[in-house]
Amino acid sequence: MTDRRRINGPVGATFPPVFVYEGEDAVKETKKTRSRPPNAIRKMYLKTGVTPSASGSAYLEIETSAKGSGSGLKLSCTVHGPRSLPRSTPFSPHIILSTHVKYAPFATRQRRGYLRDSTERDLGTHLETALRGAIIADRWPKSGVDIIISIIEGDQDRESSKAEGDESWDMMNALSGCITVASAALADAGIDCVDTVAGGVAALVRNAADDSVSNIVIDPVPSEHEKILAACCIAYLPTRDEVTNLWFKGDLGASDMELYTSLVEKGIQASKYANRVLVECLGETVG
Amino acid sequence: MAQPTMAIPGQLLGPASKYQPGPGTHIHEANLYSSLLGTVNVTQPPKAPAPVKRLNKIVPVAAPTPAELPTISVSFSAKSKREVLPEVNNIVLCRVLRITPRQAVVAILICGETVLEAEWQGLIRVQDVRATEKDRVKIYESFRPGDIVRAEVISLGDQANYYLSTAKNELGVIMATSEAGNTMIPISWKEYRDPETGISELRKVAKPY
Repeated sequence: MTDRRRINGPVGATFPPVFVYEGEDAVKETKKTRSRPPNAIRKMYLKTGVTPSASGSAYLEIETSAKGSGSGLKLSCTVHGPRSLPRSTPFSPHIILSTHVKYAPFATRQRRGYLRDSTERDLGTHLETALRGAIIADRWPKSGVDIIISIIEGDQDRESSKAEGDESWDMMNALSGCITVASAALADAGIDCVDTVAGGVAALVRNAADDSVSNIVIDPVPSEHEKILAACCIAYLPTRDEVTNLWFKGDLGASDMELYTSLVEKGIQASKYANRVLVECLGETVG
Repeated sequence: MAQPTMAIPGQLLGPASKYQPGPGTHIHEANLYSSLLGTVNVTQPPKAPAPVKRLNKIVPVAAPTPAELPTISVSFSAKSKREVLPEVNNIVLCRVLRITPRQAVVAILICGETVLEAEWQGLIRVQDVRATEKDRVKIYESFRPGDIVRAEVISLGDQANYYLSTAKNELGVIMATSEAGNTMIPISWKEYRDPETGISELRKVAKPY
């Protein structure tokens, strides 16, 4: 009589599965390389008015870099307000911005919690600085506006499980996307801005491990390069030619001022490209 | 220069020497730029100059613009309504929430022609209830909770409240219910009467337009 209380194993003998070994070559082939020129950004999709219940909203999608495995950047931004401030806040002659950036739990390789962690708060602070330079704050006294961004897909390569290129580089790309999408949502909400602010990223990369030559690319994807040495994310107002937020990361020789300047210049170029998408999208919104 | 029909924030609209800035625009380095996403309107100066403030509101009779320049403005796309804030000199409609001997606390419902989305609180102080005999004003003889009041914004006020005033003939209570719960009719500048019970109550009555 068989034991009916527990789950019994199969009656006959079994063998553990044996996988076909594909050899070194197959593994090597999956290593991605950058297919676009160094001064081109990835394709971008932007649409406003996706959330009817919000005062303004926008959705941004950046295409996946590689075939198959990669995941692009998907952002959804909602703007609530202008609305009255809570009673406890002191009198404010201008609008009070509050920005929230949150990764969806499934957005990245490392699963995210439901509470905002330090990187998300960091992104929120940078975003607030970038937007504050673009908003005409004194048109809305005594009011507040909430800008909430959910990162639905975090622009990370799902295949590369090894911790090559830590998450800090991904934050740069996420921030530039956040700036662009928030700018579109603010315009959709009808909040006065001096200009359309857009984000751009430039990075100093090294493509082969033994190679000592490094070059500058815009809109970098960390998995496409051997190593990222430094990166900078810029929020830029094109018609005013002003930078509202500048975030620099990585190590560069302090002596090489040329490199710093050219990195910033490339970042501005990237944000100009993003701005072109933004302008087109806003034109469609009105027309 | 032909004007584009639509504008996005930061778009150049023209030199400040040729146009007056209207709503939805701003001046930067002697040029006019759009600050909103919407359609561009150019209004030629009429006999009475065009209002410079936002057009979707009742604008004070003051602010005569001496220049003959056409006003350029950007109006937010009409597909969705935009949030409006009460401004000084706007006429608002509000409901009385609670009264104290010194003031009446109201909730602002309508600003100019627009129904407000957000809840804004206002305050009518005892000295702002009417223009004459201010020292004899008693709040409970002017307002009761639940009344609908037409008032004017006199200040952005403190952290929480806008300061309102009813010190004009056409400002004051426009709708009131009696203690019996019936809608009352105004019979004089300071009295409302319940048509069913015949009892009259004191209010700061707004003069009908």
